[in-house]
Amino acid sequence: MLLPKFEYQRPGDLGEALQVLDDLGEEAKPLAGGTDLLVNLKHGTISPRMLVDLAGLAELRGLASGKGRLSIGALTRVSEAAESRKLKGPLSVLAQGASKLGSPQVRNRATVGGNVCTARPAADLAPPLLVLGAEAVLAGPGGERRVPLPEFFMGPGQTSLQPGEILLRLEMDRPGAGSGGGYQKLGLRKALEISLVNAAAFISLGDDGRTIKKARVALGAVAPVPMRAPAAEKALLNKKAGPRAFALAAEAAADEARPISDHRGSAQYRREMVKVLVGRALDTAWQNARGK
Amino acid sequence: MDKMRITLTVNGVARDLLTAPNRTLLQLLREDLKLTGTKHGCGEGDCGSCTVLMDGKPVNSCLVLAVQADGRSITTIEGLAEGPKLHPIQQAFVDKGAIQCGFCSPGMILSAKALLERKKRPNRDEIRQALSGNLCRCTGYQKIVDAVASAGRNQKPKGR
Repeated sequence: MLLPKFEYQRPGDLGEALQVLDDLGEEAKPLAGGTDLLVNLKHGTISPRMLVDLAGLAELRGLASGKGRLSIGALTRVSEAAESRKLKGPLSVLAQGASKLGSPQVRNRATVGGNVCTARPAADLAPPLLVLGAEAVLAGPGGERRVPLPEFFMGPGQTSLQPGEILLRLEMDRPGAGSGGGYQKLGLRKALEISLVNAAAFISLGDDGRTIKKARVALGAVAPVPMRAPAAEKALLNKKAGPRAFALAAEAAADEARPISDHRGSAQYRREMVKVLVGRALDTAWQNARGK
Repeated sequence: MDKMRITLTVNGVARDLLTAPNRTLLQLLREDLKLTGTKHGCGEGDCGSCTVLMDGKPVNSCLVLAVQADGRSITTIEGLAEGPKLHPIQQAFVDKGAIQCGFCSPGMILSAKALLERKKRPNRDEIRQALSGNLCRCTGYQKIVDAVASAGRNQKPKGR
């Protein structure tokens, strides 16, 4: 498959990149890992005049934690997120999501920022980032701004990025002790697959090591955007962690989901699978919270 | 669309090339360097037949722009054998009957090489995981897994 004609530029720093993107507007597209962009170029879905390679932007690199916060640069490779020691413990839900994206070859090129900015409903990194309470840090002609991730996803393939803006990094609070997360992905096969349904859960246990003090549940591929499941979260708050609470939360999540029927599966089946996956994700989160 | 100059190492040899930006690494390897061991299958990152190692890591060369490979080190299937002597992984594929039409083999072998460089004796699950980005339409995968497991067991301490 052939690529269409385009020009290519590789700015040396953020300022240069923002200048080019501002100048060219819709005629330019930023290039990160390219695992989605090149497919779209080959299919003719997009036809930018210029690709702006972000690889030279040090400002977009780095997986760092400090002062109780974790910062993930937009150019962080998905394979790095899947394997990083810095994403152990309760942060492992993000590593779990990363490890399920695409294939080893795709993960070695795809970036965390790319997966977030392509904003597919089935994106593997979205539910984990949502349950970790991540916010997107953007840069553009107007300067830097922060957007909580639920507000960043606007529709399938649509984000709140304004013209000339790019994603710099994702930031989140480091979860405390006694908390954990889990990610579940269902597809027609085990790899190189777009989720039929995916789900992430995060819980934080109280001092008794049993009562759920904080709960977040997120679903993918069952709505126009990756979504939080507030009714499921409410069903978990102040309950004792365990199969009964998890089952009720999973039911609530299935009711909140807004799946459609498509070539991968029916809406009814997706709804059923939300229930199964949320239950499993909560199980994993609980084990993770107990240090397993 | 002006051509751009890139410098990359391919199978240990530094190459200085001119290319238009709208070409993939796959095209560069096959058309400019005549290294046709790397295959064009789906062209969209879904089959793995275009797998090469970039700085030691398996990537789909159909999704890498040639200009993005500037300054990088690429290993293709042609880089494995030493003259007439096959690389141990290649030999294992031959010995175990893991090659039928051979189209997936270069990609499979390179993915396996990357695995065996970071994991001494992978189990069958780990092998399948590592090869999950490489599709085979002929073999049903069993003998491919056998070959990689065998190569893993026979690896010399400093592993080639």
